[in-house]
Order: sequence, then C-alpha cells, then structure tokens
Amino acid sequence: MNARALLFIFTLVLCHGTRAEAGVMDRLRGLLSFGGGKSKTEEPKKIMPRIRVGTFSGGTGASAQQALRQELLDSREFFVAGADEKADYQVEGTSSGGRVTGKLRDGKGKDLFQRSYAAPGLDENLKALTDDVIYTITGRPGLATSRIVFVSNVSGKRQIYVCDAEGGEVHQVTHDKHAAVSPSLSPDSSMIAFTSYRTGFPIIRLLDLNVGWERGVTDTPGSSFGSAFSPDGTHLAAVMSFIGNPEIFVSDLNTNTAACVSDSVGAPSSPSWHPDGRQIVFSSDDGDGPKLYIVEVPQKEGAASRLFRWRTGYHFCTDPEWSPDGRQIAFTTRTSGEWTVAIKSYPNGGVQVVQAGGAEHPSWSPNGHFITYVQHGELFVHDLRSGNRRSILRGYGHISEPRWMR
Amino acid sequence: MNAAPPMMNRNAAILSSTLLSCLMTSCGSMKMPAFFRNPSSEAVVYALGPRDGFSSPLNGSLKPACPALVFDHADFQLTAAHQQALNGLAQEMLKNKKARLLIAGYTVPNLPPDHARSLSERRALAVRQRLIELGLDAANVQTVGFGNDFSPSGPSSDVVVIYRQN
Repeated sequence: MNARALLFIFTLVLCHGTRAEAGVMDRLRGLLSFGGGKSKTEEPKKIMPRIRVGTFSGGTGASAQQALRQELLDSREFFVAGADEKADYQVEGTSSGGRVTGKLRDGKGKDLFQRSYAAPGLDENLKALTDDVIYTITGRPGLATSRIVFVSNVSGKRQIYVCDAEGGEVHQVTHDKHAAVSPSLSPDSSMIAFTSYRTGFPIIRLLDLNVGWERGVTDTPGSSFGSAFSPDGTHLAAVMSFIGNPEIFVSDLNTNTAACVSDSVGAPSSPSWHPDGRQIVFSSDDGDGPKLYIVEVPQKEGAASRLFRWRTGYHFCTDPEWSPDGRQIAFTTRTSGEWTVAIKSYPNGGVQVVQAGGAEHPSWSPNGHFITYVQHGELFVHDLRSGNRRSILRGYGHISEPRWMR
Repeated sequence: MNAAPPMMNRNAAILSSTLLSCLMTSCGSMKMPAFFRNPSSEAVVYALGPRDGFSSPLNGSLKPACPALVFDHADFQLTAAHQQALNGLAQEMLKNKKARLLIAGYTVPNLPPDHARSLSERRALAVRQRLIELGLDAANVQTVGFGNDFSPSGPSSDVVVIYRQN
C-alpha cells in the first residue's frame, strides 16, 4: 500500500460571534473517590509522597485548610500526614474571602511555588491549588479541575455537554439547529472541536470556551468528523472526504493548511495522537471490519513516513485513544456480541479487557489512572489501579462519545 | 503478533491552492492524480465539487430519486441489486444533464458513532462513484454521511438514500 500525502491550502475559516454557554469555564467541583470503604487516612501499601497541610491564615483559612486536606486525600496521589507526622512536602498559605494563596515547600523547607487563586469561590481556588500541587510533585496533571466532554440527546437533539470528573457541574455548550457531535477538548481545555450539522451537512467547528466565539475549521464537501487536537493544540486530525475518499487529514490551525496522512480504501475514523505528536492511531474498515492503524505524521513536506496496521487480536476495533504516557492504547472492540472496552500496550503487549457488556468509546484521564466510557447511555469512570468503577452520570438522556480533557 | 511495519516512501505531492481550487470546482471531468488512487484498482476517484446550492434532507423534505439502497450490516460494497437500481437511475438522469443528486448514507444505531459516520460516507461515495462511471457528471453528485446521527424514513436504517435536488 503506497502511502500518500497531500498538502494544500484551503480557505476554511468562518467566524461567527456565537456566545458560549455562560459558566462553562467555571472551575469544576469534585474529585473521584474510590476509597472502597477504607479509611482515607490509612497508610497505603504503595509508597506515596507524604504531604502535610499546614496552617492557612485569614478569614477563610480554617475552611481552606480542611477542604484542601480533603482534596489531597481524594486525589490518592499522596499520603496526607498529620500535623505531627513527618512529611516530604508541606503546603500552607492564606485565604480571605474565598481567595487563596498557597505555598508548597519540600521537606528541606525549599519553596517550590507560591501562587494566588482568585476565582469566585473557595472550592474552585482550592481545586486549582490541588492540581498545581499534584503536578509539581508528581509531574502528572490532577483531576480536580479536569472535565469530560460528551454528547447527549437529553434536549431532544444530540448536543455537546461538559461535566467534571465526578459527573457534576454539567453544562450544555452547543445549541445547534440539528445536532452537534464528535467533540474533542483542546489540551488546555480552552476549546472544543466538534462536528456541527447546523448547515445540514457535517462540518467541523471550534468553540472557544474562554471568549465564547465559534469558527469553522472545515466546510468542505462530503463529511468532516472525528476531530482530535494534537498534544500541543496547534493541529487537528480529522476525517474528511472531499477528495472522493474518506481520509485522515491533519490541519494546522494557525495556517489553515492540511495534509492527508492516511491511505484508506475503506472507512477511516477516530484519529488519536500519540503524546509526542508524531504518530496517529486510527480505525479503518477496508471491508472486513474496522482495524487499527498507526501512521507517522510527516514533520516536513515530502518526508518519508510509515503507515501500518497495529494488530490487537480482535476483528472489530474502533475509537482508539492513546494513553497520556503513550504506552497503551484503549479502544472499543466486540466480545460475545457486545461492545467492550480494552487496553493494549503499545507497541507490544497483551490485551486487558477493562469492561465488557456494552462499554464503548474509552477516553483516558489526564493522569492515566482512570478511563471514562459509556455503557448503555450512562457515563462511567473506571479506576485502572483498583478495577473499581462507578456511573458518574445517568438519566441524562443517552450519553455517547465522552472525551476526557487531555 | 504485531505486523512488521513496512517502510514506505511517502511521495508527498505538494499541490498549490490553485490545484485545490481546480479539484473543488472542476472535478467533473478531471482524473485524480495517480497517488490518489488505490493501486490495486484502476478506478478513478472523483473529488467532490462545490456543495453550493445543494439542500440537505435535514433542512426540508427532499424527494428520493429511487428506492433506498439497503446494505448488509457493516458492508459498503455495491451488490448486484444496487448496480441494477443505479443503472436504471442513471438512464433516467442522463436525460437531464443538469439534474443533481445528493447521496446520503445512514447506518444502524448500534454502531460506534464515528465509525458509523465514516461507513455511511463510504457507502455514499461508492454509489456516487458508480453513478459517475455510468455517465453522470461528477459535479452534479454530492455525498453526505449521517452515520447514526439521524435516521432515514423507511423500515431500514442501513441504507443509502439518493435525493433529488431542485
């Protein structure tokens, strides 16, 4: 199979001053807790960094100290030490009127950071501080402020919504005439790319959640869908069919140029980027069921690249998504006639079935410890370390296509 | 178990916006460059022309040009029955060179949504390709893949519906 690339310039940009739903950028409340009945102060078996929550002075200082301790416990990233216990890190600060200033020090008293948080609510500020503490110590993003974007028909039409990691703070972000589907959040969570049917045809649009405007990315003939932001947020991979075949294209959002990176004779879908931004995994059905393929993204025009099938051992594989560390790929397959979410190590390794019985469309949490998926229209979060899972959103219409902030 | 990935030379053809413009506006009689084509097939793939003036079934009632073409689950190959129906439609359409068609693909509801969109678009493109081979002007035939985002009227949802355009 000869790979091919097409680079061209196309004028796609349409700007519309559509307002986003107010409150979308509100900091989200809540964090996953899969304690399983264990005491949260119980010493974990795995060695975790020990952190102590020191004094927070000011009018809301006592509340801030207590709430921050709970946030850090719920994160399951640390052993939260008591006031008299030894700790590797200490976080302390001030809080007045809901505003928070937090300072993180290591065990030797060296300042690691000091930041102020001035969002409208104390909870929002503490979640932001929690995520900063987690990222500084572990190098992994926290989930306190992360969000999940999904599609629901609860309004009577398929529209796009966001919620926090425990299914709270649900906001509708699109109000398209016919439907809005296939959403993807940018890495900094400031934009959503989605497929809109507002013209009667599927086109890809960008919604900026900070300022509320929308613009078109594609308005090409045929269909456009399956958008996925590159890890640096500058490119968008998506399926477009205007050349007479559905193919995977990579669009540069700054220059509005696009390159065709696939070589399909069938039906490609669901591109997902490796975290290094140099490879894309996608599903393609060449007539015998969808399989997974990997393509290298050419780093310059005319560069040689590889396009190859990545075997999972299953005949029907869709919705692949690379883990945040690039070592695994989650995908939807079919076992015993029902949709199943599975994970396979990349490039080699065994397959782990995460959830059978109708589970589909997996998406990784930013820290790689959890996967969200839908099962019979409900939204689930699955802890890959403990194997525990829970429904975080049910009775909200039929939910599909969840994507966790990357 | 994993396939040894063969190294391939990607002869990336760099096309200017001018060429793109050609593709988008005058593809009716234009053969696609060799690298567009499936090397295992001699079929010429015709790019889609501008969609200006085409109406979507989502925006109003459109009249089907022929009975819906029913596909087997997850298949996009044209069957003998499809070919027969398309032959009849092409004979009728060739009497009016200006007649335009919108080919809309649909799938059953229980497929993964993104795969369903691609499969339905692939089905629509397969029908379009056949109609062009039968003599219809490529510029007058558009496609859209609705996947399972919308359902067509009729008993089966695994279909391609060919809508007449006014």
